[in-house]
Amino acid sequence: MIELIAQVIVAGILLGGVFALIASGLNIIFGVVRIINFAHGELVMLGMYATFFLHSIWGIDPYLSILAVAPALFLVGVIVQRLVIQPILDASAISKIFATVGLSLVLMNFALILFGGDFRSVRTSYSDSTIGIGPINVNIPRLIAFVVALVLFAGLYSLLRYTFIGKAFQAVAEDRSTAQLMGIRVERLYLLAFGLGAALAGVAGALLMPFATVYPTVGISYTLIAFVVVVLGGLGNMTGTLLGGLIIGLTDSFSATFLSPSLSTATYFVLFVVVLLVRPSGLFGKGKGTEEVGLR
Amino acid sequence: MRAVTRREFLRASGAGLASAALLGVVGCGGQQGGTGGGPIRIGALYPVSGVLALLGEESFRGADIARRQRNNNGGIAGSEIEYVRADVPEPNVARSEAERLVSQERLQLLIGTYSSTLALTASEVAARRGVNYFELGAISDEFTDRGYDTVYRTNPPAREFAASQVRFIEEWLASQLGKKPSEFRLAIAHEDSDYGTSVAQDIRNEADPVGLNIVSVEPYDAEASDLTPVVLRVKKSNPDTVIAVSYAQDAILLSRQAQQQDLGAPIFGTGGGHSLQTFIDTVGEAGDGVFNVDFTQYEVNKQFTPGLQEFVDSYKQAYDSDPKSGHSLANFFGANIVFDILEEAKGSLESDRVGKAVNAYTVKQGTTATGWGVDFDENGQNTSAQPFVMQWRDGNLVTVYPEEAAVMEPKLVGSSG
Repeated sequence: MIELIAQVIVAGILLGGVFALIASGLNIIFGVVRIINFAHGELVMLGMYATFFLHSIWGIDPYLSILAVAPALFLVGVIVQRLVIQPILDASAISKIFATVGLSLVLMNFALILFGGDFRSVRTSYSDSTIGIGPINVNIPRLIAFVVALVLFAGLYSLLRYTFIGKAFQAVAEDRSTAQLMGIRVERLYLLAFGLGAALAGVAGALLMPFATVYPTVGISYTLIAFVVVVLGGLGNMTGTLLGGLIIGLTDSFSATFLSPSLSTATYFVLFVVVLLVRPSGLFGKGKGTEEVGLR
Repeated sequence: MRAVTRREFLRASGAGLASAALLGVVGCGGQQGGTGGGPIRIGALYPVSGVLALLGEESFRGADIARRQRNNNGGIAGSEIEYVRADVPEPNVARSEAERLVSQERLQLLIGTYSSTLALTASEVAARRGVNYFELGAISDEFTDRGYDTVYRTNPPAREFAASQVRFIEEWLASQLGKKPSEFRLAIAHEDSDYGTSVAQDIRNEADPVGLNIVSVEPYDAEASDLTPVVLRVKKSNPDTVIAVSYAQDAILLSRQAQQQDLGAPIFGTGGGHSLQTFIDTVGEAGDGVFNVDFTQYEVNKQFTPGLQEFVDSYKQAYDSDPKSGHSLANFFGANIVFDILEEAKGSLESDRVGKAVNAYTVKQGTTATGWGVDFDENGQNTSAQPFVMQWRDGNLVTVYPEEAAVMEPKLVGSSG
């Protein structure tokens, strides 16, 4: 029994790391630009496809391909921000929702047309390798994704805390107009934020490929998970996203193993709702006011 | 800007969702049919966008090859066959498209759809209007259990899949594992939508009379990122075999994680993801020896499936690739049956005449491209179609049971024994 629990904890933590990774980009976009980006999962999907093609055409290892995928997705993010989001920043909330829902549909069908509906995966020599820690089996690619997630989060945290850009992000997240009055070039910052968010989604995609499957509509479930994690942890808070991811991952893993695998999603949603009832701005949110999401 | 009221938000979200659904309909309307009383116009409802696109398109291809072949051979009662296509990515679109084809295009015969949820909705429309509907690929039992007059199905239903699996276990697998059927421990891991749930129920219904012991049933979300909990729970129940009812990504994930967690028992797929080439390509060695039951696939005794090779050649010529799954073949078979029935009815699409032709029409097993026979029961279900058992061996999905259709003997493969 102890072994089972230990295995479940390990599985939950690794899963949570993956969730946090997917959510990291959304945290930046949601936290800074205050846009409900319904297309976030599709950005991950694009990262996954890019990784897949780099691997199947040129044999590039998924981890190596991050060097190409991250900048490519950064560019995609900047373009999306400039062409889709920027024009409607002051428009009604409805327009903003429509815009990213529309973007999501466009990207999904674009992928369907370009790549077909087939399910693609990457098989590397280490895809199915496990490392045994006592009686616990740990899948190596998932472990790597987890470790990279930790490193990324450490980096993002430092960015937000110790750099000028990071402080500018936080300022804009707190109050856009005042930040503008203080001389911050908000539009430029938004481009950077969306680009960074998209790049992070791309990195998540690359790290997922050794053990996940990509198909045009894979983004739908990723978007949902990303939102839950980000809101649970508190908008704009990096530690919050990481911990939120881990909590969701552990909840998923435990409820799936000890209740029923088909109840795992329901369980973490219940948890999510309960947390929001008690703390609407999320576990580590900055408190009242920061939970507003650009619908104004 | 003033704050958004809840009413506005709800209205907007509703509008947003409605437009998204509408995009599906408007963006891909069917083609206009021919003019005059000339061609025989048949509505073809298949999902070619959205989540079901891959196999929806594959299914349509089979039906289309049948149409072209038949037209080359003189059509039906001298008239050319024409398809009026409709893309049906979701159930509400299936309903609205079926309505459109029946009321605006005035079609009297519809075929489709690959997916049970789509089939159920589209056929309801047909049944209500007294229009003929032939399902060529969806397997949910409920479809024909409803007993609608003008609704028929050419392919085997889910319970036949379960029956084949149980028969195979009873006649071969149990003894190979050194167990009597009454001692046999069976676990079921199934994706939790209508497909997986209904097949799982069928398996239980077929297994009980034979005495197989169902030691665990684990429903899971097909899109889950991690199936370790499923594997752990199944492993805990100590099964001799795990029957899996999965789509593509979960079939892959299940096999990989089963290997990572040392599941130890052979996996028996039930069509879906376990029949796809991408399954074995991704999973590699961990997939060798996995059993499967599904529509007729391409490594099968060709003596039992005359016309199969010609079908594959036509497919390659038309689409520049090998068939992606047995769905195209099943739809090819089904469309041909429909054409034969219409020929019997002298080209009439009128439901009484079609109904009579359906009742009069029988075909022996082993004489068609799928090896299936034809014999419709009072619910419109073809009872002479039987899914074969296959096994993944060295990267190929080979038919291993029943003997008349097999190309290889089944074998327990190392890692799963």
